[in-house]
Amino acid sequence: MKQKPIQIGGIIWTLAYASLIVWIYATEPRSFKDVATNTKVAAGIYEINQDKFNNALTLFHRDEFRAARDEWARADPAQSDPRTQFYIAYAFYREGWGRVYHDDALFKEGLTAVNLAINLNPNGTLVIDDPNLQMHTAAELKAELEQGTERSWKDLNPLKLFRQRK
Amino acid sequence: MTHYAERNRALLHFIVLPTILLTAGLLGGLRIDAQTRQFVFIAPPLVTLVLAILLGSLFVRAGAIDLRRWLSIEQPTVTNLSQLLTLIALFFATAQAFNSVLPESGLLHWMFSFFFLWTLWTNQFSNFNPQRLLKSIIVLFGTAFVLKHMLVSALYAPDGGWLRTIASTLLQGIAIDVPAVAPATGYISFFALTLYVAGLLLMAPVPMQLDKSSGNELAVRTEVLPESSEE
Repeated sequence: MKQKPIQIGGIIWTLAYASLIVWIYATEPRSFKDVATNTKVAAGIYEINQDKFNNALTLFHRDEFRAARDEWARADPAQSDPRTQFYIAYAFYREGWGRVYHDDALFKEGLTAVNLAINLNPNGTLVIDDPNLQMHTAAELKAELEQGTERSWKDLNPLKLFRQRK
Repeated sequence: MTHYAERNRALLHFIVLPTILLTAGLLGGLRIDAQTRQFVFIAPPLVTLVLAILLGSLFVRAGAIDLRRWLSIEQPTVTNLSQLLTLIALFFATAQAFNSVLPESGLLHWMFSFFFLWTLWTNQFSNFNPQRLLKSIIVLFGTAFVLKHMLVSALYAPDGGWLRTIASTLLQGIAIDVPAVAPATGYISFFALTLYVAGLLLMAPVPMQLDKSSGNELAVRTEVLPESSEE
């Protein structure tokens, strides 16, 4: 039967094409550039833009948190690098931190970012070895952000005015 | 000559047809955001799956697809698997064709869905042959396309002219939520529907390797695949 190779080829092609379509709908790329990025992530060859990451780090150290986050977002468009997501969360924390009260909206965005960083890390424990930071693990940062969004009687403690930003 | 014809028929049936149907499925849920010009992929809503089942039922009832010949215990497993994948692709393409012409949300989404359901449900009790069914489907999707991508989008376009003025006057106080999509969406939808109809034209009531009857009912199909393959 001469059709058999064509049939088998058709089955393989149909399954592959259908999988591609399901993958496109699952990842919801917003442009052809996103398609390329998602393809790199799926193929395991995705890398962040190191120059942009370093630029963002410089901005972060100058306390320009919003600019730093924007630059990190451009460095990691697929949101697939746990280290970058950790720094984004840290930028939310530092910008949202206040001696009297914290900015809940920024802390919540920080929580989202740190949760993403934790989920992206295959080992489970994300440790960032940066001497400029006072929290080096995603777990510490997450706990700090969660405490910042919770309401308790401790919020009325006047001694909290002396606390330090990490 | 016969050898090439047989091979081309096989290519058409086992590779080109599923590709056309799947491409229709891919494009059926694609919109372009009016402001950001970014892709928006809309998975088929549940109602489109119901509509696809109703239309699938019509295909079977009208004889456009002879399920007993498409999937048969007497055929090789590979053949059955291949035919099954084509039928699944047809179902997916049908759902996405409906998705393509349904407004995304709001009152119009439910109005369009209701009219589709009503039409397909009443058609279940009509006498159809494959040719009439195909014409009916083309008219159904053509009308919905014109309504959604030409009339409704013109009514709610930012620079919508007199049509918009009339609509806003007539429908004052009625919230009709129509998401803003770029004009390119209409072109994509048109292309998706064209592919879908082309897929239907290529779809035989009886698949090629079992097609031993010369009296194939679907006229267009007999033009595309004039002879049955002899195994």
